[in-house]
Amino acid sequence: MRCLLSLFVLLMGLFATVNSYAADAPQPALTTEDSSGPQVVQPIEFPHDRHAGLRNPSDPTNSDPLKGGMEIDCMYCHTYARRSAVAGIPTLQKCIGCHQSIESVRNKPRIQELFKYWDAKKPVPWKKVHDMPDFVRFNHERHIKRFVEQQNRPTQEACGYCHGDVKQMTVARRSKGLTMGWCANCHQKDHPVTAAGGTPVGNQAYWYSFQKPVAGTAGGEVKAQDTNNIKAQGPNDCWQCHK
Amino acid sequence: MSVNNLLENWAQFRHFHPVDDKPHDPYKWAMSIDLDACTGCNACSVACYAENNLPVVGKEKYQHGHVMHWIRIERYWDESLGVAGGGDFPEQGAQFLPMMCQQCEAAPCETVCPAAATNHTADGLNSQIYNRCVGSRYCSANCPFKVRYFNWYDYPTTDNVWPAEMNQQLNPDVTVRSKGVMEKCTFCVQRLHAAKGTAKNEGRLVHDGDVQTACQQACPTSAITFGNLVDPESKVHKQWQSQQVELDKDAQVKDQKEGGSGLRGYRIFEELRPYPSVMYLERVRESAV
Amino acid sequence: MIDSGLDRRDFLKVLGWGGAAAALSGCGNTSIEDGKETVVSYVEAADYAIPGIGVYYNSTCAQCDAGCSINGRVREGRVLKLEGNPASAINRGKTCGLGQAGVQHHYNPDRVREPMLRKGDKFETITWDKAYALIAEKLNGAKGEEVAFLSGGVSGHLKVLLGNYLASIGCKNHYVYEALAPAVARAANKKAYGIEMPRFNINKAKVVLSFGADFLGSWVSPVHFSQQYAQFRKGVDGQRGVLIQVESKMTLTGANADRWVPVRPGTEGILALGIINELGMASGDIAAAVKGYDRIRVSKETGVPPGQIDKIAALLKLRSPSLVLAGSAAEGYAHGSQNAAAINLLNHVLGNVGKTIEASSSVTFTQMAPAKGNTAALKSLNDGLAAGKYKVLFSYAANPVFTAPGALKFKDNLAKADFKVSFAHYLDETALQADLVLPLDSALEDWNTQVPEYMAEGAQINIQQPLMEKLHANTRGMGDILLALVKQRRAEEYKSFDDYYAYLRAAMLQNKGALGGGGADDDTFWNDTLTKGIVKLAGSSGALSGKASVVGLTLPAPSAADAQYPLHLIPGVTASLRDGRHANQPWLQESPDPLTTIVWDSWVEIHPKKAAELGIKEGDILEVTSRSGSIKAQAYLFPGIHPDAISVPLGRGHDALGRYAKGYGANPFQILDAVFDQETGELAMHETRVKVSKTGQCVIVVKDEGSAGGKQMGRKIAVSMSTDEVDLSKEV
Repeated sequence: MRCLLSLFVLLMGLFATVNSYAADAPQPALTTEDSSGPQVVQPIEFPHDRHAGLRNPSDPTNSDPLKGGMEIDCMYCHTYARRSAVAGIPTLQKCIGCHQSIESVRNKPRIQELFKYWDAKKPVPWKKVHDMPDFVRFNHERHIKRFVEQQNRPTQEACGYCHGDVKQMTVARRSKGLTMGWCANCHQKDHPVTAAGGTPVGNQAYWYSFQKPVAGTAGGEVKAQDTNNIKAQGPNDCWQCHK
Repeated sequence: MSVNNLLENWAQFRHFHPVDDKPHDPYKWAMSIDLDACTGCNACSVACYAENNLPVVGKEKYQHGHVMHWIRIERYWDESLGVAGGGDFPEQGAQFLPMMCQQCEAAPCETVCPAAATNHTADGLNSQIYNRCVGSRYCSANCPFKVRYFNWYDYPTTDNVWPAEMNQQLNPDVTVRSKGVMEKCTFCVQRLHAAKGTAKNEGRLVHDGDVQTACQQACPTSAITFGNLVDPESKVHKQWQSQQVELDKDAQVKDQKEGGSGLRGYRIFEELRPYPSVMYLERVRESAV
Repeated sequence: MIDSGLDRRDFLKVLGWGGAAAALSGCGNTSIEDGKETVVSYVEAADYAIPGIGVYYNSTCAQCDAGCSINGRVREGRVLKLEGNPASAINRGKTCGLGQAGVQHHYNPDRVREPMLRKGDKFETITWDKAYALIAEKLNGAKGEEVAFLSGGVSGHLKVLLGNYLASIGCKNHYVYEALAPAVARAANKKAYGIEMPRFNINKAKVVLSFGADFLGSWVSPVHFSQQYAQFRKGVDGQRGVLIQVESKMTLTGANADRWVPVRPGTEGILALGIINELGMASGDIAAAVKGYDRIRVSKETGVPPGQIDKIAALLKLRSPSLVLAGSAAEGYAHGSQNAAAINLLNHVLGNVGKTIEASSSVTFTQMAPAKGNTAALKSLNDGLAAGKYKVLFSYAANPVFTAPGALKFKDNLAKADFKVSFAHYLDETALQADLVLPLDSALEDWNTQVPEYMAEGAQINIQQPLMEKLHANTRGMGDILLALVKQRRAEEYKSFDDYYAYLRAAMLQNKGALGGGGADDDTFWNDTLTKGIVKLAGSSGALSGKASVVGLTLPAPSAADAQYPLHLIPGVTASLRDGRHANQPWLQESPDPLTTIVWDSWVEIHPKKAAELGIKEGDILEVTSRSGSIKAQAYLFPGIHPDAISVPLGRGHDALGRYAKGYGANPFQILDAVFDQETGELAMHETRVKVSKTGQCVIVVKDEGSAGGKQMGRKIAVSMSTDEVDLSKEV
């Protein structure tokens, strides 16, 4: 009996943890001092701010790195993000493609380091900053399609939802939680569960709402392309994100 | 959303009858397997090992029943073989049956999971969520088909399971499972995801033939058909329909016909009401010899 | 209770299931897995190489010589999975389990990685330059006739280059040895149809009568035949094809037959003549020749009931065209050629020749056609070795120390050659005897062309190309090695080829027109060829020329009982392990034998009645003794075997090769007697007689089958119906 009881306690503990993922705790605290992900030491201290940062209007030639960036689109370098689940890292060739003709910075230590790799034909051993555990399926392509291509939002904004304001960073750091509750928080904010317990047509929150979805709660006709989202059998479709 | 919500609503999600008020749309993945074409060659099983990162457990663990084949070939002999009044030889050959998770619509495994780690998806799949699984093994105990496999060991770190170089073959689209979790056939959900993603990018639904499961793709006799049961253009839909097998029945009307229906479609353990998503087509044997 | 303070992680810890927690390191401060801190990044990448997206390359499966075209999925530079290439007429997008395991050949941890030279009982690593120099030195000390080259079945440009190399060193002793090649059938087909390997149209036949041809498992081109079989079962106009399998040990094909006919070992030819007699369709000298084979006598000699012979004959008469196949089981006797001739005669009598047996095409480049050979070749090599004729012996793609019948004493004779060079993927039994071992690239990192012996439609040359970078820096492709060696002799002639790739490309471009690339520029043709992975050719179609003839057809009476060795030993050929060269691929070891469901071990199949007679039960360790030796293996009571025979599967019982093969099972090749087919001189694989005795030990048989032993216990799991209950014509 005692064993049974303690098992019950344990099971309740399990559900309690589910609770902690919920929206009232939108972002689990990151334990570093400045509430950001760990500092990752990269083989070359890549300045995102210089590449992606905003131009300084008072410095049209962009000669002073301390004053402004080049406003390079994220996907100029991170080109795989729109075509694949994996964003990947730009090839060394991509870096060299520009830098071989930028004489002004050719002798800077970081650029010299870069060319050392290029001459040796060795890839730069970049360290991961953002990563998902093996059991999570995240698709960059779908997010880019939705936000950038369909909704026409600026790339830096769309990427920033998960990656933070990278254009202000030198070496990128993780600034978002990237936990399940954090993902769901966003998905639910955009697609709230209706009072009737369903999700408005076209939205996808049902799999995290633990609510039974009801067809056509947004009123009007159910569109064929939306039926995918409202005919769920269970409270959740964990396979949407877990593999 | 909250735990209260979960506790209150859980019961109604644990459905005991498929579809009724919530028909699958636009996808319901299903299979049909022609036992007259299946030769028992095991190509499907090896293909599954290759696609889904199944560990090779070795002789000793195999003996302990720890084998991880998500799809296995069962071999049966005629009931009369070797018994009094029966023959001494299997004169009609053997009977082979590929057995994998039947992706039941009212899956017995789902209702007993204490951690909600196995659930039904909108596409009619029985999902297994490794990171939720706590390894109670209730699901396996409750599965009438015995197609759930438990990781008794941490295979990635076990000697000679994936030694250096061999681990480079692992499919990155599929999790490498760790010790203490249950696993089973997923209908190659990673391929379904890829196909759905492509279709979505092109603003359409997945067409029949866009996606094949690994076992289906390998099968030398094309005995396995896989597709979207609610797509009237799909081969699997046409097969189910022509065989008069309905997903949400626990006994098929055609089977009540006197003198037989002349149709081969059936589902295993239909009478237990798991509503399996796999239809088998009976093996045929020539009566003239 | 909800605030018990225990969270999910604690829950796991309490119950001791820490392993699952390891997968959860994604929570909290870092989501980077330990040991995986570095991103995959490239120096340069082609446009089509996108991380996370598979790139597919066409190539050719090298797991057996059927020549199935494969399509390899490559991600981030690693080949992950092989699928069939739908464009190939041979396998039409399909693969077998053996083919699927090709990636495990490539990634195998036991591959040889460095050239190695024998030093006493050990090998030491040397450089390629040294190895080549050593070969040159040894060849300089030997005359051409003192050099022998043993290989498996080679074809395509590799065969051409090998021929050129052998010519350059004046060696005329090229022995081709494939332990399980259908050598007797080739000879019998040549006599009966005029070609060694005609096209068998199983899909056009209404009845297939197969005498031990395991065409669904391991015979000739199983993936191709499996597809034909599927069509055959669907039938024409809803009339389903009927398969009758005659054999003494049930094969995979036998297990799929509508009627499996157990026949006394060696009497297949008698049954064939009996059926011809029963048909009453023959005339002239054929009718005269079969006259004596009345149903009563045939039944007595073969053990097949007269009623069964009647039914088979009646069905063959009723449903035409049919197809009769002579498989390896029928040919495995001293009178194997006669058996095959009698069986092939049935096709003539039934009028199948030209209908279900058709002329096949072959590539017009005859020098690329596959080199064929079986034990007859090995025997003459063995004789030469025994006589001390050879100073230098090369071996490639053959493992005779493992596969030669024990009675030949091949291993002992091999020691008489002074210098043995083995081109090897693994340190197999033969490589272990070598003085110099040269490590080969896997089939997934090497260039080649392959010409299949069995052509499905027209003719084709298959391209084998690397699917990924080499795994090991110091392995070499066989073509590259041969090129380096031939340059030792004919440097001038081959100087324009830096590597085998250049040779291959030049050789293909030279014949661009004949290969269907006339008009295209070189690069376009070459890239197109590599993309497709197949060059389809009309081929030159040989005509069927054989005539039905009974000249010289004499079948011996069934062999008399052997008091000392009362049982026939039937070496079982399984679809996955074949002659054992791939036994170090763990998927194949763990893939259950379809019929017995046994894994990771050998077994002795014995009929339950015979077992009861001998007091044998499942799991008893039996000693199987022939005149040439003995092996031990676990007993498995198997109803699909003639009570006068036992069967032990081939392929296991390695004492080398690698961690997944060594020490598992027993090797029946070791106890095969040296009995040969009288006409062709090939090994009569089924002529070995054995006795079995219990050793007193007993094990639990490791198998997939449950304790019910293959019975459904009245439950509707795998269900069957008979043809008169079903209407197939309406099926989708």
